[in-house]
Amino acid sequence: MSVRLDGTIIVLEGICRVDDAEPLLRWLQADPGRIIDLSDAEHLHAAVLQVLMALKPGLRGAAKDAFLRDWITPALSDRKPVSMAPQTG
Amino acid sequence: MDDLLQHFIVEARELIQQATDDLLALERDPKAVAPMDSAFRAVHTLKGSVGLFDLAPMGFALHAAEDLLGALKEGRARIDANVVDTLLECIGQTERWVGEIERTGQLPPDAAEEGYRLARVLRSQVDEGVARATPADTPIDLGWVEDLMAQNPDPAAMKAQTKPLVAIRYTPRADCFFAGDDPVALLRSVPDLVSVRLSSRDPWPPTTEIDPFACNLRIEALSGGGLDAVKAVFRFVPDQVTIHEVARSVADHADAAGPGSGAESTVTDGAGGARARTLRVDAARIDHLADLVGEMVVAKNALAHLAGQVRDRLDRKDLAQGLLVSQAAIDRIVAELHRAVMDVRMMPMRDIFRRFPRAVRDIAGPLAKAVDFSMEGEDVEADKSIVEGLFEPLLHVLRNAIGHGAEPEQLRLEAGKPARTRVMLRARREGDRVLIEVQDDGRGIDPAAIRQVACERGIAPADELERMSDAEIVNLIFAPGFSTASEVTDLSGRGVGMDAVHSAVERLGGQVTVQSLQGHGTTIRLSLPLTIVMARVMAVRVGHELYGIPLDGVIETAFVPASRVVPVQEAEAFVLRDRTLPLVRLSDLLEIPRPAEPPLGMKVVVMALDDGPVGISVDAFAERMDVLMRPMSGILAGMPGVMGTALLGDGSVLMILDIPELIG
Repeated sequence: MSVRLDGTIIVLEGICRVDDAEPLLRWLQADPGRIIDLSDAEHLHAAVLQVLMALKPGLRGAAKDAFLRDWITPALSDRKPVSMAPQTG
Repeated sequence: MDDLLQHFIVEARELIQQATDDLLALERDPKAVAPMDSAFRAVHTLKGSVGLFDLAPMGFALHAAEDLLGALKEGRARIDANVVDTLLECIGQTERWVGEIERTGQLPPDAAEEGYRLARVLRSQVDEGVARATPADTPIDLGWVEDLMAQNPDPAAMKAQTKPLVAIRYTPRADCFFAGDDPVALLRSVPDLVSVRLSSRDPWPPTTEIDPFACNLRIEALSGGGLDAVKAVFRFVPDQVTIHEVARSVADHADAAGPGSGAESTVTDGAGGARARTLRVDAARIDHLADLVGEMVVAKNALAHLAGQVRDRLDRKDLAQGLLVSQAAIDRIVAELHRAVMDVRMMPMRDIFRRFPRAVRDIAGPLAKAVDFSMEGEDVEADKSIVEGLFEPLLHVLRNAIGHGAEPEQLRLEAGKPARTRVMLRARREGDRVLIEVQDDGRGIDPAAIRQVACERGIAPADELERMSDAEIVNLIFAPGFSTASEVTDLSGRGVGMDAVHSAVERLGGQVTVQSLQGHGTTIRLSLPLTIVMARVMAVRVGHELYGIPLDGVIETAFVPASRVVPVQEAEAFVLRDRTLPLVRLSDLLEIPRPAEPPLGMKVVVMALDDGPVGISVDAFAERMDVLMRPMSGILAGMPGVMGTALLGDGSVLMILDIPELIG
């Protein structure tokens, strides 16, 4: 597993595979206010990526992996500020 | 509610109206270019604004609508009534959602499901349309390629590319994860990425319904790595990817289009802004107002000068002269100022007329009536309150024209009429009134049937009904009690709730009449004042309350000593200059407790009524004033004895009394 929950942070690290999508989705469904830390992620499987795209969680840290940083995370962080904070109260 | 959201609601309503107008125009003429572009722009702008808020379901639906319009625009799908219905359904739902947002600040709980459903239906239209309209040789849609280029953060770097660019659009199959594919890994192996756009194939479903293992991604990318190298990456998924080499000219074009698309949205805002809900005012009218206020200041200064002379005790004759001149000047300016303000409030009929084509379509559809609806005189202007107050009554009249006037096609053809019923809405100005007509060429009204119904319901005595001409008889449909909205009578081919139309129009200071020729059609004619009229009233006090009495009925005011009041049977009278006049106490008329009798006498307003002068006793006279009288509306509309209300300078409301009705 390359996805773990650390308090209110969901940490994605190393190579995230297709089976990481399911726990990621459940954690975000349970609390949409949780923040994703991508800094140590080396790859995101498309299944993981689409969970992030659909639920639009807040992101923390820039990915060290150049491909993720240049081409993938912009699509995740390109959010209007209002919709960034749905029900975090 | 925050300002941004309020602004959004105003803008959204305008865009919704615009899109509706355009879609209806497209339905009439599917080849028309202008409404196509305009509808696309309206939906595109609306979708953009929705994105600023947490209104995802609305975004889904509008995004899908935009895609469908885009496909129609590029000829990838074909316009038919079904497509227009789907789009109108989406726009209609958006309108309801905007109403809900205005009321509660958020979307209703079922919005997610509904938005997703609408998006699905719209998307299926795109796919269907594409399947129908795309033979193999249709020109390739490169719109998305241009978008990709436009979003590249560094256009200079892109221009520096010597090799032609390769555009990739990769839409993985929903079950691709089970086949072991990782679309992101494939993207990672594309050489020399220049631009990437990640989106969803279908709108994201509500959070709780997401299936993480069904791929819903769409990946678009530009690569400088060369066609063959890119093709090699996708060699195992050729059915899910389209790859084009992009000519330089497209790249240049895209480069130019980048900033251009921004400019376009500005233009849209300018053209679509401030139409329906706000009052747009010609600058010349405001200038005129400003000029008048300037004159007013001068006249006021002249008065101040006179006041100074009074203090210095100048000759009194000069003073009176000066006061009169100054007063006349202020009088004139105030009158003009009033006209100018009224002028500012004028708005064109268009603002309500434009909602009717859609309404007519919605009414005629379920009744299976074929109707050709046309309008004239959208530019005719009237006061804002008149124009806005006309919407409901006109809608009612149109509903009747379609529901009862229009005959089935077969009957029309047999009667030698065109198959489709013509309904025409016209406005024109006539002097200081505006005339509005709703004319249909339907079955018309049968005077004999009206006579019978009127007789049964006791609208008028039978002998009187007999004497009335047919033209008079058909106007009985407006009589209260002739029909009620709850019953549907086809007897007359008309007449459901027309008394409601009558009273609505009367409240606006207008009249309504009907002309009908059996078998040939019906014309309902509304005549309304252009503006709400300024009423001159005299304010009087009873107890602690202030009431207004229209000055045109007042002959004089008098102080009547208690000794001059004489009881006459049940009532009272008083003697004024050797004439005996009936005396009525306003407190009695208003059914409020009589105030303590003043010992010396009472203040009386002498009014001219139909059967001679009458004295109305009040507690005190207050000032005379010019007020903007508003007809009573809402639950107060039926209140007897009250003509209307006026807002006073201090914010309180003055009730203007209808004395003849109170006495009557």
